[in-house]
Amino acid sequence: MEFLQPVLDGFGVVLEPTNLLYCLLGVTIGMLIGVLPGLGPAATIAILLPLTYGVEPVTAIIMLAGIFYGAQYGGTITSVLLRLPGEASAVVTVFDGYQLAKQGKAGTALGIAAIGSFVGGTVAIIGLTFLAPLVAGFALDFGPPEYAALALLGILLVATISNGPKVKALIAAAVGLLLATVGRDAFTGAERFTFGNLSLADGIDFVPVAMGLFGVGEILYNLEERHRAVKAPTTVKNVWPSRQDLKTSAPAIGRGSVLGFFLGILPGGGATIASLAGYAVEKKVAKDPSRFGKGAVEGVAGPETANNAAATSSFIPLLTLGIPANATMAIIFGALLIQGVTPGPELITAHPDLFWGVVNSRYIGNLLLLIMAIPLIGVFVRILRVRAAILAPITALITLLGAYTIRNSMFDVLLVVVFGAVGYLKKKIGFEPGPLVLAFVLGALLESSLRRSLLVLDGNLLGMMGRPISATLVILFVAVAVFPLIKSFLDRRTQHAVVDEALRSGPRPGAASGTPSDTHTKENA
Amino acid sequence: MTFFTTRRTVLSVAAAAALLSVTACGGNVGGGVADAADFPSGPVNITVGQAPGGSTDLIARAVGEGMSDNLGQPVTVVNQPGANGAVATKEVAGKAADGHELVLLNASLITITPLAVSENEAVTLDDLDVIKGLSQDDYVLVASAKSGFENLEDIQATGNLTYGTTGVGTGSQLAQAVLFAEAGIDGTAVPFDSGSPALTAVMGDQVQVATVQLGEAKPQIDAGSVTPIMTFSAERNEFLPDTPTATESGYDIPVSQYRALAAPKGLPEEVKTRLAESADAALATDAYQSFNQDNLLTPHEISGEEVTEEWNSLRDRYAELVEEHDISLTGN
Repeated sequence: MEFLQPVLDGFGVVLEPTNLLYCLLGVTIGMLIGVLPGLGPAATIAILLPLTYGVEPVTAIIMLAGIFYGAQYGGTITSVLLRLPGEASAVVTVFDGYQLAKQGKAGTALGIAAIGSFVGGTVAIIGLTFLAPLVAGFALDFGPPEYAALALLGILLVATISNGPKVKALIAAAVGLLLATVGRDAFTGAERFTFGNLSLADGIDFVPVAMGLFGVGEILYNLEERHRAVKAPTTVKNVWPSRQDLKTSAPAIGRGSVLGFFLGILPGGGATIASLAGYAVEKKVAKDPSRFGKGAVEGVAGPETANNAAATSSFIPLLTLGIPANATMAIIFGALLIQGVTPGPELITAHPDLFWGVVNSRYIGNLLLLIMAIPLIGVFVRILRVRAAILAPITALITLLGAYTIRNSMFDVLLVVVFGAVGYLKKKIGFEPGPLVLAFVLGALLESSLRRSLLVLDGNLLGMMGRPISATLVILFVAVAVFPLIKSFLDRRTQHAVVDEALRSGPRPGAASGTPSDTHTKENA
Repeated sequence: MTFFTTRRTVLSVAAAAALLSVTACGGNVGGGVADAADFPSGPVNITVGQAPGGSTDLIARAVGEGMSDNLGQPVTVVNQPGANGAVATKEVAGKAADGHELVLLNASLITITPLAVSENEAVTLDDLDVIKGLSQDDYVLVASAKSGFENLEDIQATGNLTYGTTGVGTGSQLAQAVLFAEAGIDGTAVPFDSGSPALTAVMGDQVQVATVQLGEAKPQIDAGSVTPIMTFSAERNEFLPDTPTATESGYDIPVSQYRALAAPKGLPEEVKTRLAESADAALATDAYQSFNQDNLLTPHEISGEEVTEEWNSLRDRYAELVEEHDISLTGN
């Protein structure tokens, strides 16, 4: 157990009072910026970097990492309370989280999310400690064909998890894929749907789309509702999940942890697909899938656990290969340069205290978040008691401010307004924003990895079947796509048989005797 | 009581939001009509066309830090990503030339990107006054460990090469396309979104080689997970002294990422001198020099006029090279 020593030493480092204080500072700042959708952790960390010059490297990194996961929890808060998912991995949380909040159970949703995040993070840390060297190669084996297959599977899941009519979900997803093509073509430099506007050259950012469709669209819709009927203000019943809620969520938290751990290892898109898969799995195994989208606790527990576990296991590529999993990680470890520490594959051996200090601070940070969440949830849920006339403009303001901060651009603010109007109209005609937003996120991944695959595989897509991981994913894709068709076909056959039986035995006025009954069935069918 | 709690919560959220937004845009209140004599009359903004945390952003912050001390005014970095920096550059070029609005330029936007995008999106130095050249970030061609490539001859000996680039219209793409054309290597370019995924793809042997910036590749080179083949700088890079340059191997393809500080065209001469002076002071600080060292940046501290001349001639040279070898950066 010698290899555990640095891990334990890492805990010692985190538990020093100064480090604990900076960790607390980090998660608090993180939680606050998480509430503002546009200003992500990456930008905040870059801005706050000078604050860390004067302190020890470990302390600095602990605070910066705290901002990173504090922001994730802050994003959960706005997803549940205000229907504002700040990050792609929080989109599915909105489906049931916001419904729970509407039913006065915001505390349940936030509490389950906090517990799920804590458990998911813990499981992932244990996995990271023991399995990291074993699973590291996984990230490198994921080339363009594997990402293409994964994105394809993800888009299929989008259709599965939608709670409304399937056709509408597919249409919305198709629109999302189309929106993902806006911008300069990454392979030829050609302009696509930019109308000569340079602000569109990089495509549309996730934040204006999600904020507009979810947040502003909902505000507009609610204002109209209120005009029609005087609705009693939302009552806040319970502030903490009940024993029953915990019991229902426990398996979801378990599954989410494992799912999140493995998908999180993939740099780029891992956390989003993890949350999506977490939701899809819960819906699939539920006894009554119709509860989903109407406030199912597992619908919050599964994805929230998964995206947190994924965020933790995203340290693995960094630990073993020196690859930062996302922009925030890249900046955090770029910050190390200023402190004279070179990030890279040698980091773990050269600075074990630093590495494990950061990883374990994540654990302590999660614990702090959980402790802070208990009293704060009570405060947060009261936001819902604020009258809509006050809450709606404030929400709109936060949304617009958030959109502006992404790249200091008024154009993005305009985009929020446009997508808000679209979101409102979509809701009026019964489209949910979820499939569109998720397909939009995955569309970019699908397009670039598919085209990259074609280049790598010399234009022969069948080459995907020659690589074990992509072949497995493609087979899984076909199974998920075809299984419901076969199932409904079999169901129909059984029904046919029943109808047959009924026709055969029941009295058939006007039917000539001796006519084979299946002729009738065909005519009737 | 409940009402007050609620209100306080909401107010504090709003206050936090307001505070953060001010921090984010860096209190952009400077400007106004400045008399050259009393420059700077307010805070100076450096607009960066890349996201926070990238090397361009970090350079802007390092230079801004030193300039602020010299000018006695806050120097704030404003990130306005979009179209490889074209959005930010065009925006700043349209602002008042009073010295309070600066932009940090990447040479590739001026010298290489125009080869890949339509004419109305191409950015030139015509609307800008360059104040000071800062540094150069060298490109290095690396090969995956699995490919076994040790030098260019090994690559020439292979039949079917796929190579990663950091995107269309980048130095990474241009350098490799020209090199492989001159060396008679038949390869397929696979563009990635930036350096990090391209490097990861080489490590996993998804592509056999790629060209990325040295700062990114160095830790992997040191760890032995990728093999450096050559750099594209004019002289050997001090951080990679054993790796040959393309020039000494007989391929004259000088491609580096240069960075410079610029302002809108028409800056009063005194203001320009004052800015150059403060930039010089910033570059002379120990903090800035160790920043360069830590980020493997080679100082390339030339005057604004020299930058304009150098970049314009590089732009023409690249256009010739592309034409000579019948290369299309857009893949058409």
